Amino acid sequence: MGEGVPGLSQAYTWLFTAALIFLAVLLILCLIRAIIGPRVADRLVAVNMMGTIVMVIIAILTLMLQEGYLADICLIYAMISFLAVIVLTKVYMGVFLERKNQEGEDEKHGGN
Amino acid sequence: MAVIEWLQFLIGAVFLILGLGIFTVEMIGVYRFHYVLNRMHAAAMGDTLGIGFCLVGLIIMNGANLTSLKLFLVVCFLWFSSPTSSHLIARLEVTTDPEPEKHYRKVPLDTLEEELSKREEVSGAEKSDELYGTEAECVRMDGAVTDDVKTPANGTRTDIQGAEA
Repeated sequence: MGEGVPGLSQAYTWLFTAALIFLAVLLILCLIRAIIGPRVADRLVAVNMMGTIVMVIIAILTLMLQEGYLADICLIYAMISFLAVIVLTKVYMGVFLERKNQEGEDEKHGGN
Repeated sequence: MAVIEWLQFLIGAVFLILGLGIFTVEMIGVYRFHYVLNRMHAAAMGDTLGIGFCLVGLIIMNGANLTSLKLFLVVCFLWFSSPTSSHLIARLEVTTDPEPEKHYRKVPLDTLEEELSKREEVSGAEKSDELYGTEAECVRMDGAVTDDVKTPANGTRTDIQGAEA
């Protein structure tokens, strides 16, 4: 970025490096939240946040490395992380309801 | 020409740093709230506003070309996908919570108006200072919060609970 203007290229490199380091720290904090989060929904929220932060990192790398195809990867990452949240939610809810039904039936049989 | 490029850099940098600030606020909120449905509010802010600011900054730095359009599409996609996933996560939490009465209170829809008018009376009688205390007590977000909430001097707490019973 910023070739031809003295000092600008260096400024871009500094800004992008600082932003990437900051985002990496936030990513680690997110990971800690995902590990300690007491409930499943906590972990899902943390994973969603991690997806967002990784998207920003990829977008910054797009400009830093001047590789246009990384923007496509960013778009695909957004779709896949959305899909992951939906699938995890649906699967967990299905498992929970199935188990609940099972328990209800067991109780009914035990009562009889 | 150099001035314009420097200006582009500066405006982009301001937006990018603003976006990083939003992410920081998001992280603070996620660590400070005590319950998932509260945390989700902070987390959804970064999904839309945080990434929006960051990518607008990057688009300004990049100028108008196809890469900028793709970055804009990412933001557009997140505007739609973030509320959807938040809704699903919230529904999962409400469905699977084993002890919901500890975290929030369910108000049936047909008694909602009554409840709201009651709350309005209470807050009107108490004026501004005690409003926060009664509000937090009515919503009853979390065990840790409820313990900290200051009880109003004229005993509103018993009033509300008595009316409920």
